[in-house]
Amino acid sequence: MNETSALVIIVAAIFTNNILLANFLGMCSFIACSNQISTAIGLGTAVTFVMTMTTMINYAIYHTILKEGAVLVPYDLTFLTFIVFIAVIAAFVQFVEMFIERFSPKLYFALGIFLPLITVNCAILGASLFMVIRNYNFAQSVGFGFGGGIGWAVAIILMAGLRQKMRYSDVPKPFKGVAIAMIVTGVLAMAFMGFAGMVTIQ
Amino acid sequence: MKFVLKIFKSVKPNFEEGGKFKTFLPLYEAMENFCFAPSTTTQLAPFARDPLDVKRFMTMVIIALVPALAMSYYFFGARLIAMIIVSYAAGGMVEVLFACVRKEPIAEGFLVTGMLFPMILPPTLPLPILAIGVIFGVLIGKELFGGTGRNVFNPAIVGRCFLALAYPKAMSGNFTTAGTEIPGRMLEYIHAGNAAAHDAISTATPLVLAKQGEMVNTVDMLIGNTSGSISETSAIAIILGGVFLLLTRIANWRTVVSILAAAFVTAAVIYNTDTTRFAPPMWHMCAGGLLFGAFFMATDPVSSPITNAGKWIYGIMIGVVTMLIRNFTGYVEGVMFAILLGNIIAPILDEIVFKIRIGRLKSEG
Repeated sequence: MNETSALVIIVAAIFTNNILLANFLGMCSFIACSNQISTAIGLGTAVTFVMTMTTMINYAIYHTILKEGAVLVPYDLTFLTFIVFIAVIAAFVQFVEMFIERFSPKLYFALGIFLPLITVNCAILGASLFMVIRNYNFAQSVGFGFGGGIGWAVAIILMAGLRQKMRYSDVPKPFKGVAIAMIVTGVLAMAFMGFAGMVTIQ
Repeated sequence: MKFVLKIFKSVKPNFEEGGKFKTFLPLYEAMENFCFAPSTTTQLAPFARDPLDVKRFMTMVIIALVPALAMSYYFFGARLIAMIIVSYAAGGMVEVLFACVRKEPIAEGFLVTGMLFPMILPPTLPLPILAIGVIFGVLIGKELFGGTGRNVFNPAIVGRCFLALAYPKAMSGNFTTAGTEIPGRMLEYIHAGNAAAHDAISTATPLVLAKQGEMVNTVDMLIGNTSGSISETSAIAIILGGVFLLLTRIANWRTVVSILAAAFVTAAVIYNTDTTRFAPPMWHMCAGGLLFGAFFMATDPVSSPITNAGKWIYGIMIGVVTMLIRNFTGYVEGVMFAILLGNIIAPILDEIVFKIRIGRLKSEG
């Protein structure tokens, strides 16, 4: 168990260990949904919310059921970790989807296919798995889930801003679309490398 | 001059439609424009009241760089010229290639990028690394976006960050001491090839020494008599050129003022938390590339925000991030990362300013 405070983990998850720009998780929806700032803000908020909540739920399930020597089940069920985490995330996203459809139809249509895509957003599964690998306690897990989500949202909003500005660019044909988006992501990651060493988490 | 003009006239048919070197027309045009004013003039309205075109804009920046160039030639010697030549050749190659493929004239933007890039590098950085850096900067930072005026990042900064991450050892180890006697190093050509001789005169930069608790005199840094990136050491020369840029309104004063003010305030706050560990704010203002970045890099009109309010926030962010990176991370210099982050956040700042203005107009009805 490490002793890093949850606040430090939030800052680290946004700047130094940004889940997208340092670990390159969650690239698919990042590339696909970053054409407009408003969509990016919507998706970023959704990911932050889902990531924070699923990390909490997965923490509870992992420590009461799956872990060896857990309170509720006397067996070592860690081999089920992946499938259980995925199922929890999928169920939770379904819930969020119904919620958004009910309260913000506009955002629902803007997100379109990409809301169900959060289900298989590797950043969200990644956050839950990092929590297990790095032995975070509950407060640290919530901090990591929340910070990771904010970090992902910051990255996609910055990307959307750049892509809006790039409408005035004249990108060579082979680089149009996804290719130039990947290159811009690389430059973003390069800039975020500047924060390396400011705060360190495992 | 007539002699040169004759040569241009005689080779011109080769580059025109049906000529042997038709593909290289942009190269010919660039050379002709470089030597002579173009003979074509505007015939019909609208006429611009101020003929401030890209060419004059870029020439002004080059003029503003002259004091810093002169100082660095005095302190670090003739290798500066070799670095500039390599930078222009390698970056220019990419520029010409793209112009020929796109069939567009070569833009003057590279004149500035190619000059700025070697100026922010260590004085004895191996030339192949310099060439890789400038090619990366021009290709990824500019040409893939469509060339001058259409890029979203500052090409020189992209190249510099790339080198800092890709060649950390070469980028942190090649600093020579500045020449002090009257000829300075003006007659010397110092390169890293002769390791023993080079070690004798190489030293850590003031920012590195500060992390080890050793402070370089602020007056030395003001004049430039310290080690450091080749043209960043002399604060006075940079301010001289920078003020020229501000007076001619090539650089926007809002960006410069907000960067320097924010950096000063942040440095003062950090200094007061622990005066033994951190350097005083005035020292930080003269150290490293802060001034050079603030005057010449961050003010790039293409990659900085276009709204005035956006420029203030952009500058404040660069100043604060620079000081945070300098004082709390493994990197000793944070200006280039801060400016790259500023370039990244610039479109969002503009967007927020537009949103607020539209909202205000709507509420006024």
